[in-house]
Amino acid sequence: MADEVKVADKTETVESLRKIDDNLRLPSVPEKRVFPKEIDVSAARMQTPAVGQRATRPDGRMHGLGQTKYIDDMFFPGMIHAKIKRAGIAHAKIKSIDVSEAEKMPGVMATLIGSEIPVNSFGPSLQDQPLLADDVVRHAGDGVAAVAAVTEQQALDALEKIKIVYEELPNVFDPVEAMKDDAYKIHNNESNIYASKTIMKGDVEKGFADSDFIFERTFTTQMVEHVPMEPHASIGEWDANGRVTLHSSLGRITLGRADISRTLEMPINRIRIIATVVGGNFGGKNEITTEPIVALLSKKTGRPVKCVFTREDEFISSTTRHPFVMEYKTGMSKEGKIMARKVRLICDGGAYCSWSETTLGKACILSAGPYNIENLHVDAYAVYTTKTMTGAMRGFGAPQVCFAYESHMDDMAAELGIEPLEIRLKNAFNEGSASPTGQVLEAVVVKDSLEMATERFGWKEWRK
Amino acid sequence: MKPFDFIQPATIDAAILALAEYSPNVRILNGGTDCLVELKHVAQSPGVVIDVSRLQGLKGIEIVDAGLRIGAGVTHTEIMADPLIKEHVPAMIDAAHTVGAVQTRNLGTLGGNLVTCVPSMDSGPTLLALDADVTILGAKGTRQSSLTDFFVAPRKTSLEPDELLLEIIIPKENLGKPASFIKFGLRKGQALALVNAASALWVEGNKFKDVRIALGAVAPVVIRASKAEALLEGQSVSEGLIQEAAKIAVGEAKPIDDFRASKEYRNDLIEVGTRRTLQAALGASNIQS
Amino acid sequence: MTDVTLIVNGETKTASVPPETTLLKMLREDLNYTGSKLGCDVGDCGACTVLVDGLAVNACLMLAGQAEGKEILTIEGLSTLEKYHPIQKAFEDVAALQCGFCGPGMIMTTKALIDQDEDVTRQNIKDALSGNLCRCTGYTKIIEGVIDAYQEITGKKLPEIKPRAA
Repeated sequence: MADEVKVADKTETVESLRKIDDNLRLPSVPEKRVFPKEIDVSAARMQTPAVGQRATRPDGRMHGLGQTKYIDDMFFPGMIHAKIKRAGIAHAKIKSIDVSEAEKMPGVMATLIGSEIPVNSFGPSLQDQPLLADDVVRHAGDGVAAVAAVTEQQALDALEKIKIVYEELPNVFDPVEAMKDDAYKIHNNESNIYASKTIMKGDVEKGFADSDFIFERTFTTQMVEHVPMEPHASIGEWDANGRVTLHSSLGRITLGRADISRTLEMPINRIRIIATVVGGNFGGKNEITTEPIVALLSKKTGRPVKCVFTREDEFISSTTRHPFVMEYKTGMSKEGKIMARKVRLICDGGAYCSWSETTLGKACILSAGPYNIENLHVDAYAVYTTKTMTGAMRGFGAPQVCFAYESHMDDMAAELGIEPLEIRLKNAFNEGSASPTGQVLEAVVVKDSLEMATERFGWKEWRK
Repeated sequence: MKPFDFIQPATIDAAILALAEYSPNVRILNGGTDCLVELKHVAQSPGVVIDVSRLQGLKGIEIVDAGLRIGAGVTHTEIMADPLIKEHVPAMIDAAHTVGAVQTRNLGTLGGNLVTCVPSMDSGPTLLALDADVTILGAKGTRQSSLTDFFVAPRKTSLEPDELLLEIIIPKENLGKPASFIKFGLRKGQALALVNAASALWVEGNKFKDVRIALGAVAPVVIRASKAEALLEGQSVSEGLIQEAAKIAVGEAKPIDDFRASKEYRNDLIEVGTRRTLQAALGASNIQS
Repeated sequence: MTDVTLIVNGETKTASVPPETTLLKMLREDLNYTGSKLGCDVGDCGACTVLVDGLAVNACLMLAGQAEGKEILTIEGLSTLEKYHPIQKAFEDVAALQCGFCGPGMIMTTKALIDQDEDVTRQNIKDALSGNLCRCTGYTKIIEGVIDAYQEITGKKLPEIKPRAA
């Protein structure tokens, strides 16, 4: 029956749904701050989805009218505000935390330190990150204590009264240094390397021996912060039945719920997470940050507790994109065919694992680029350093290696006197090529898209 | 922000009285684009904040006996739209246009930009190149100061805690003087200057006269490149001489080396900025004659 | 605490706030106009842009007391029950808003630009929007939205950009 549905019927259905939707929503907004009545569904929304059509977003109207409610736009009766004290020191042992002065400050209703959290650790692959550091501070943005007060300013003022005694530990900022045997072990492990991956294909040594030219170069990329326009935010309410309701800007609520259940030592069915519209995620809101903290502060105070990161918190304590050190060695024939490639990737994971393992895997697979390479050897390591932890961000390790292999390709093209487009076409994947890990690729359009793109932006004319 | 008391005096005299009463625990607030950012991050409350943004006496752009008077409370947007500025000191429009973004220019004031006295201020170089003076009002009366003496150190001017910057005066003889301003930043909006440069000069009988070169963001305060000026002064107009002066200007600055730009890069920018502003000022003078 | 009276979207509103309250905080927390967003709190991102006496300003960099008696226009004041504002419509139609957090600020800055009643070029638009950040980096769509709105409201055409000679 499905094939009998005509396009015209379908659009009508969409339109009628839309109307019902608006009727439902109208009375819920206050007087004079309402949606305009007489608007048709925009033309683009009535079309069946197709490439080349102008598309609109279903939530676009709410955004434009300023009616979208992000976390910071929600206020609950009796709600109080939480702020988090940042260590401000890269690596140190915490000797003592004294919150007694802070608790006496006006408006302060509760404080929270790491040792009060039932299970003070979380993380998607390794649970190595504390919600609030209670033993060792591993980067300057580590939270060490939280305060809930009637106003945000009172909470901020109280943070200044928290006394913490630190015993400084050696800083490890360079990932290459951190890999060495004699480097200070940030997590008391045998090594600061916490994940490694290897890909071996063909015989690299033989490939290099058969090459006419060998090129070597090391590439590095820097740390990048997501800077979502909306800072991380959450509101927690612990009710009298011992259930927690969390409004959160978290991007992965199901995963987050499991993490929260683990940290609070609470059955998962007692935790309800309401995902709100997220004001920019880009991978940076994939993990819990303040959710268990506001839940526990709410338990202590019996009030809903809101915590919104300041822009400073956002920069120093949320995850960032991994800086990479990428050592490339490529063997080339005279004609510009890649004979062999050896890659060593060092991924600076910062203080905690977060999504580094996943990132490392993806970087590893993609490090050869979309090129047919018979002989390949990739070694990749994720390393702890005492810097802001690195996690998921758009591309998961792909942009870093792409920068490296494409720059490397340009270097080699220039050195061999081959046109940059030509050298790519010579090596690019064909239909049925195998990826470095052996996946046979279908619908491969690398060459077509390269040719079409260069034609569209006038590459050949520009080269003249 | 830390709690403070907020006073909105109705007249300049009332503001001065309030300043005298509460100084030194007092901050003057006008546009607030610098002041409020600072107040959001201070450890101690300023005590009293005096809002002078409604004082008509700090507003207005007009021709007076001494020259062109610009009230300290005139916003950058007002400068950009003012016919007198356009006629007499158009370089100030270019300078005002580089301040922050639209939102910043609508609130931020010329006086505030000078009083904050950060080395990278965008208003300083043009005014310095035009030998501007400032009028300062305090409990003891008014006093005049040249802008050069007004800038003391980063974030420090010659203003006493109980004094208020009243107006900026561009001397009569410099009205219509060919001048040019250029700013180098990492992006066009909302960027701090890496290097600011402004030049002003007369050409008489094909000779440079009263050459002024001012550089911002390259020393603790906005400075004049006096050796470069001296090289040009009284000499016949020539492109080669301008290029040489630009090279000399580099030696007179002490730019910092930071994450925004290296010292070498800033030095290059000083040369380029000095050269381009001198050329532009010369071009403007050719159009005039 | 001081009493501050503002004329927000044509309606007189009064609230008693501490003197250090910014206009943004008063609008959002005391008057419940949450359309203006707090992004950076230091005047860099423009998410809090509102019009004060017709001028676009960062509401986070103005004390509520400074705005006493002034006319404030927020994002909530553009559309009415009868009429969807052309800027908001244009932004919706071109899908200029992704996460939407920068949207209210972008739209208010656009309103100030179009209200100036001057001929606008693509460069003017970029210049006017330089104080509004979008991290979804939808600037291309946003500029398209501004152009559409400008053409719709003023009836003027934006100067065509000549294609680069091959």
